[in-house]
Amino acid sequence: MKKISTIRQYSLGTVAFLMLGLTACAKPPQAANSEGIKLQGNIVLTGSSTVAPLAIEMGKRFEEQHPQVRVDVQTGGSSRGLADTRNGSADIGMVSRSLKPEEGDLTAHAIARDGIAIILHSENPVAELSPEQVVDIYQGQLTQWSDVAGGPTSPITVVNKAEGRSTLDVFLKHFDLKNSEIQAQVIIGDNEQGIKTVTGNPNAIGYVSIGAAEHSIGRGEPLKMLPLDGVSPSTTTLQDGTFPLARTLNLVTQGASEPTAQAFLQFAQSPQVQDLIEQQNFVPIESAPLAPSTP
Amino acid sequence: MSISQRPGLTVTALDRLLGFAMAATVIAVGLGFCWILGAIVAQGLGQISLAFLLAEPSNAGREGGIAPMLVSTLLILGVCLAIALPLGLGTALLLAEFTITDQRLGRLVRRSLDFLAGVPSIVFGLFGNAFFSQVLGLGFSILSGGLTLACMVLPLLIRTTEEGLRAVPPSYRQGAAALGLSQTTTLFKIILPAAVPGLIAGLVLGMGRALAETAALIFTSGYVDRFPRSLMDSGRALSIHIFDLSMNIPGGDARAAASALVLLTLLLLLNLLAGALAQRWANSS
Repeated sequence: MKKISTIRQYSLGTVAFLMLGLTACAKPPQAANSEGIKLQGNIVLTGSSTVAPLAIEMGKRFEEQHPQVRVDVQTGGSSRGLADTRNGSADIGMVSRSLKPEEGDLTAHAIARDGIAIILHSENPVAELSPEQVVDIYQGQLTQWSDVAGGPTSPITVVNKAEGRSTLDVFLKHFDLKNSEIQAQVIIGDNEQGIKTVTGNPNAIGYVSIGAAEHSIGRGEPLKMLPLDGVSPSTTTLQDGTFPLARTLNLVTQGASEPTAQAFLQFAQSPQVQDLIEQQNFVPIESAPLAPSTP
Repeated sequence: MSISQRPGLTVTALDRLLGFAMAATVIAVGLGFCWILGAIVAQGLGQISLAFLLAEPSNAGREGGIAPMLVSTLLILGVCLAIALPLGLGTALLLAEFTITDQRLGRLVRRSLDFLAGVPSIVFGLFGNAFFSQVLGLGFSILSGGLTLACMVLPLLIRTTEEGLRAVPPSYRQGAAALGLSQTTTLFKIILPAAVPGLIAGLVLGMGRALAETAALIFTSGYVDRFPRSLMDSGRALSIHIFDLSMNIPGGDARAAASALVLLTLLLLLNLLAGALAQRWANSS
């Protein structure tokens, strides 16, 4: 770190003369907090785009309590959160699934729970798919909706998540699939992109975060979630632990954290942020018993 | 249908067909543009208010405004232009004015620039993240985003400026030499003012590309939607805000359209400003 900071000084110096005019708008550092605790510095979070909007809102509330702290939230997917936490460019990683056994070098701090729902266009008459049918559709063995009970005579458009996304990992693990086996027509990144792909194509099947899907259905978009093992996906069935395809949203750290980062981790797991978690359509961790088939 | 053999301005069926095809093309292009603009205005105009321009975002951007993003965007663009303009002008001068005797250097530089101009912006983003953010230790910052954009915009800027300089007739240089003017005086008093249209074209294209950029910025200047305190802070550009609202935030579409409308207006204003500055400079020298 020492070496990097000297290089930073040097490189800053060389470009400083060009920047003088631009830095004029920088605000002076704020006066010390009147409270007893004087936390200061930057906390950098990177990773899951599912967690990022929630982390930003948590960060803003944390900054209100500790005016000398800045919480910087970056995005890019869970894999990036893991990589950045390991190489030190982030203090805290955001990962929207549980850690795998080979990721034992990192510590997970659970902040909320979320589920993944299979979504169809609301015009699609199919009311339920068995797990076997979902596997067959994603492996490309079922290609027509007419092969499914109640389905229309049209081809199935399979929408899959991009590599490195936790939603993909959780989905694959639940259905015991490999990504290489999947025959997808569309590969998507973030949740809202998945919803837009399905609402724009009556023949599409996809899977997204329940919170995002509930939000869209609430706004009257042509979308429906399919029940899984007879349980319909909603934040209520997530909360009582009956919906099987659930995941934990985690903040991860490596080794001992700085006091500021530690304080933020505690804050993010405290009841003070419960309303923010619900606002982003997730389920707070205290009230969510662990689902039986948690990945 | 055959082409008329008679000379003069006789209108034949083929002429009419070609004329119709041209008009149709123009209308199609115009309609496409109006459709895009109309969609953005229809969805976004109702959201725009003074508060939207001056407030900070809340609830992941669904509420509140875009003030921090506006500030970050302008700062990133400022850093980008502060680096790219002098470097671009210098390189273009070298290529247009001083490489006549050294053809090989000129060709090499030009080839590399044309190659760089075609590199996808995400590659610049990854380079910027690896070099500026990590090797130089700038982290996620407006500085690192602006420098990455400068790298991306430079090829375009240099090539357009070079074309502008080459468009200055050789007789100007010969006339200046005949009058005994020094090379420096010729450059600043004669060639540069005459090349201003080319410089402005390069500047406007470069600004457009920089303002529209998303991929190169997401890994360099980052995602933080707060007012930056200095150039070392991370700041979310408007284009990234639009991308996030439309692709990651359920219910963010209207705000995305409103932000897009602001970005379009900003681009228009900056282009007008560049044009006005150029006019003034050309008149004063």
